Amino acid sequence: MVLKIIEYLGIVFGVIILGLLYGGIARKVIARIHRRYGPPFYQNILDVLKLFAKSNEASHGVMFNLGPVIAFTGVLVSLFFIPLGSFRPLFSFEGDIFVVFYLLVVAPLGMALGAGEGANPNATIGIARGLTLMLGYELVFFLSVLAPMIHYRTASIATLVTVQSAFPHWNVFPFFISAFAGLIALHGMMGEKPFDQVIAPHEIASGPMVEYSGKFLGLLQLYHAVGIIVETGLVVDIFFGGGNWLTFILKTFFLFITLVIINAVMPRFRIGQAVKFYWKYPLVISLIGLLIVAIWR
Amino acid sequence: MGIEGKIVEDIVKRFGDKVRAEVQRERRVKFYIDPINIKPLLYYLKEKGFIHLSSISCVDWIKENQFELVYHLWSYEDKVHLMVKTKISRENPEMETMIPVFPVAETYEREIYEMFGVSFPGNPNLKPLFLEDWDGPPPMRKDFDTRAYVREKYGMIDLTEILRQGMDKIKGVRDEDEIL
Amino acid sequence: MGLFKFAQSRSLWMMHFCTGCGAVEMPPTMTSRFDMERFGIAPMATPRQADILLITGYLTVKTLKRVIRSYEQMPDPKYVIGFGSCTLNGGMYWDSYNTIKRLDLYLPVDIYINGCMPRPEAIIEAFVKLREIIAKGEANGWKKYKENIKWYKENQAKVFDVKKWSVIKWE
Repeated sequence: MVLKIIEYLGIVFGVIILGLLYGGIARKVIARIHRRYGPPFYQNILDVLKLFAKSNEASHGVMFNLGPVIAFTGVLVSLFFIPLGSFRPLFSFEGDIFVVFYLLVVAPLGMALGAGEGANPNATIGIARGLTLMLGYELVFFLSVLAPMIHYRTASIATLVTVQSAFPHWNVFPFFISAFAGLIALHGMMGEKPFDQVIAPHEIASGPMVEYSGKFLGLLQLYHAVGIIVETGLVVDIFFGGGNWLTFILKTFFLFITLVIINAVMPRFRIGQAVKFYWKYPLVISLIGLLIVAIWR
Repeated sequence: MGIEGKIVEDIVKRFGDKVRAEVQRERRVKFYIDPINIKPLLYYLKEKGFIHLSSISCVDWIKENQFELVYHLWSYEDKVHLMVKTKISRENPEMETMIPVFPVAETYEREIYEMFGVSFPGNPNLKPLFLEDWDGPPPMRKDFDTRAYVREKYGMIDLTEILRQGMDKIKGVRDEDEIL
Repeated sequence: MGLFKFAQSRSLWMMHFCTGCGAVEMPPTMTSRFDMERFGIAPMATPRQADILLITGYLTVKTLKRVIRSYEQMPDPKYVIGFGSCTLNGGMYWDSYNTIKRLDLYLPVDIYINGCMPRPEAIIEAFVKLREIIAKGEANGWKKYKENIKWYKENQAKVFDVKKWSVIKWE
């Protein structure tokens, strides 16, 4: 029992460090695309350490302080349902896909409560945009995940991992249409350009993070880091066949770097354009994928 | 004669003795007038096509004890720049507001009130524009001693004084040729 | 702890407050040619998220009031860099009735960069020097401000109405 707790604490720590390293390497990749040197690859770890060493932050009340805590907790709990390489998830039962989807929504809602307390119009705009964008990508993502779920008649991530054993049996090959729509939805979920209306640094001054300073901001950076691993890990488990810990890290890394490269060269959509886009092409693509599965059955 | 001559003829015919006109060069015409008659003149010029009030500027003629206000007008059709000049007294300077003719005059009059101290009764918005927490006389007047004010308020470091001391030191020690 | 000091010196977030004419030197320093991000310095939008306040040029009384409010909103530890000769001795505006002549009297400054305007190479050298003095623990402008706040507020009161404008309590 104690061993299990230590193992899971180790997993959490490892995931945090891995997420921060991914973020740092992403900054380096973006810099090289811009034809300049970038920060060292461990820069995000230094950023978080610096933020936790700050004092004298301003606070707007209890709900304001709890916002980042709810966000971080939401994404951390959803980590326990996802198989990470060869580590079996803490909870695994039929229907845990729906629980993960629900928990991934808790985090922005927690941020919304906290940002609303801050009484800064930038934060309100940012969070309103974030929740509106969620209307776009959640549906597409769910419909694209529904295709392998219907085919294999299961609603548990661990089962979906075990039915794809080795390389030629990855789910992405039979379900490539749904996987394509799922990847577009993942792009929006991660908040990479052209879908980063939530943060939008030069437009609305970092959106919901605008009033947070010091330790709260450090917690938000950790939330973002764990969020990277959770979301790419989910897609890798469902479509690209889990694998052991080394191949899992490599797969999430390459998926993340692909999104970052698209992020480095694109501008940002307006929020209306983004939601309209999601309800046009990716929705149609995922519905076609579902139709194919239904007919094939 | 051209357009400038035509405009001068028109105004002189309408206003007669009260206005004095002068064509400076191509596209530049000046009118000298008394403060009382300025509003009818601006109304008439606006009808004639001079619809753009570019600016209002103020000149401090301290020896004659007068302020001179200049209204800069521009016509898009004729492409001529007019300067309508009036002189007001320097003690308790006051001028009627031109907001009914050109609503944009509000900002220019606000600036002149702040920098020169000319008040414009009828202007609803004579609040400070650039100088917050200002506690001295209007700074653009010629009798405002900038250096004394700055020395007292900000503790100014007098760079000309430091330079002079430095030059004296250099002159005492070396020859001019050796420096070059 | 050594690790925290190392992290604090290698990751400085700059507040994007572009004061006077010197602000035009910031885009060349940030973009590809003289890349500033490789030192860990990134521009941030709000004072709540920033460590460095970069005063790039002259400050009128109107701007000084807002700069002081932004400085007091930043969390500790925070550093101020005075940029250009206008913060040193008034620079080109040494006899102007509306700009301040010495930044040191109103805010605690850690590093001055002289020049009108300093080139991006000079700015990067200043950032490297700032990194060194933070790692040694000598960049204590924020502590100086807290301990000598009465003196700073007296100097500020000579220039504007501090009692009406200030948001922190110092008496």
